[in-house]
Amino acid sequence: MEYVIIGNGIAGVSAAESIRPIDREGRITMIGDETFPPYCRPMISMVLEGAVGSDRLPIRGADFYERLDIRPLLGARVSEIDVDGKTVITEKGEAVSFDRLLIASGADPRPIKAEGLDLKNIFFMRTEAHVRGMERALPDVRRALVLGGGLVGFKAAYGLMCRGIEVTLLIRSGHPLSMQADAAAGKMILEKLTGRGLDVRTGLAVTAFSGKGRVRQAHLTDGSELPCDLAVIGKGVLPSRSFIPRDHIDLDLGVLVDDYLETNVSGIFAAGDVAETTDIARRSRWVNAIWPEAEAQGRIAGMNMAGQKIRYGGSLSRNVIRIFDTDILTAGIVTPESDAVYTAIQSKDPLYGTYRKMVFREDRLVGAVLVNRIEQGGVLTALIRSQMPITIEKERLLDPLFNVKMLMKQ
Amino acid sequence: MKQIMIHPERCVGCMQCMAACAAAHSRSGHLFAATLESPLPKPRIHVGSGLWEEGFPNRCRHCDPAPCLFACLPGAIFRDEKTNTVRVDPDRCINCASCAMACPFGVIRYHAVPFRGGKKVVAVKCDNCIERQGRGEIPACVEVCKSGALTFEESGEAMKRKTDAVSRSVSAGAEGTELPEGFSLLRAIKKARLQLQERR
Repeated sequence: MEYVIIGNGIAGVSAAESIRPIDREGRITMIGDETFPPYCRPMISMVLEGAVGSDRLPIRGADFYERLDIRPLLGARVSEIDVDGKTVITEKGEAVSFDRLLIASGADPRPIKAEGLDLKNIFFMRTEAHVRGMERALPDVRRALVLGGGLVGFKAAYGLMCRGIEVTLLIRSGHPLSMQADAAAGKMILEKLTGRGLDVRTGLAVTAFSGKGRVRQAHLTDGSELPCDLAVIGKGVLPSRSFIPRDHIDLDLGVLVDDYLETNVSGIFAAGDVAETTDIARRSRWVNAIWPEAEAQGRIAGMNMAGQKIRYGGSLSRNVIRIFDTDILTAGIVTPESDAVYTAIQSKDPLYGTYRKMVFREDRLVGAVLVNRIEQGGVLTALIRSQMPITIEKERLLDPLFNVKMLMKQ
Repeated sequence: MKQIMIHPERCVGCMQCMAACAAAHSRSGHLFAATLESPLPKPRIHVGSGLWEEGFPNRCRHCDPAPCLFACLPGAIFRDEKTNTVRVDPDRCINCASCAMACPFGVIRYHAVPFRGGKKVVAVKCDNCIERQGRGEIPACVEVCKSGALTFEESGEAMKRKTDAVSRSVSAGAEGTELPEGFSLLRAIKKARLQLQERR
């Protein structure tokens, strides 16, 4: 059996690790753009803030490929999949034939349109190489500009602030972390950051960067200029799918997969940030580009590729963010669009600095936001995941003393 | 292999297990000295209360497979195969709270522990008192539990005892369960008190 895995991120790594114990004979080829040993992508922001050294990034030893008898083809992306000929072709022109293929190509930073993007010290924050580049630039940086009020933008701003750099954060819309947290929690984080000196400007975007060789100024949509000697573009990510033949493999925002993470083409699977799965809370197709889902999807896709029949239970958006002394944990639908379908309850305790919000669809929990005292977040996440009916008073879930026992009758 | 078993129906909510656990994971290992230590030792077993304020000793189940282990970003959570214990390596832990989002029982806490100067905040959970077991002692929470809500025994034996109790209770002429009446009385009192408060 010839297995080919496109991508050496966590989805690809988990898939290889679950194929190997089932099929000891099969040939596994992994094609990856990044040449660094398998590493923990979410930790790169912690490297930027200086909390951990980049030596802590690898999650598997340097012998990973050798140990699992994997043929690595690193340093080049896939340029084409020949579905009928069951062959994958890389940018370097290498052709690899497959019986089972996993598309785990991940996602790429969403590009922006602005002039002067070729100047030095303008970074995305997606790979360890990006953060390494930022670390090298840091000694000469006094003012930084971060674009995007999403998770990456916030983490970049926080990381640079931890390094003693003056940071300006540009948010196009007024509400930060709009994808991860609700307005109330977003505001609490924003207040924390501005209280520590973060300069936030809303409703603005960059039209151009200028400088001699390296960035010195950013020119904004309102005609003003902003001095900066480093810029981070954190406008989210897009599934990396340019090489996928649309006429053969069903695509939406991501690659569409069934409950077994297989695409419409038998033998071709997808997992991780590139895959569009069923979202448990939303009950619709969704790209949940988060680390724990990529790990689970890779693991399950690998087992299915090796001939088992393991069902994937669907994905759930969730995140936990720690900024200074504030913790924010979110899961599922945090900003419901319709009051007719969803009911939301919330509570705030200024004494403990806590905020809690629960979103229900009828008697099922579909979303939760916790600010501080986040220890019971896993219980709530499990409730969303299992879609068990909540038979106790809903307000109990807001109780600071809420625990798993309260869900039990006796 | 012996394991810690929880019998929540016997918990009276005295929280002595919490004190014993904190002391067992302190520098000195003694309760009174532990109260003077920095960082202040904290328990890894958490007595909460249910809907009717009944006691509930909540601790790590050492799940297999363990969701926290899969979720751990830096790979700090691992399984000690010999003792079937899910452990956290405080050196590798980066305090990201990914495990808080994963644990379906809500038993992981984040604070400093007596490790390398005691300044680093890390994920902290039950370690089955591996150190004590290495000295031939039983886990601290079990040792101190007076009501039999925590026991340390072979899981097969505990299971058999429960199964036997169930089959006895459904037999003709059954004399009820082995649970002393005091437990149900305490529960009834707590429940009645809450119901009276609600009515007022």
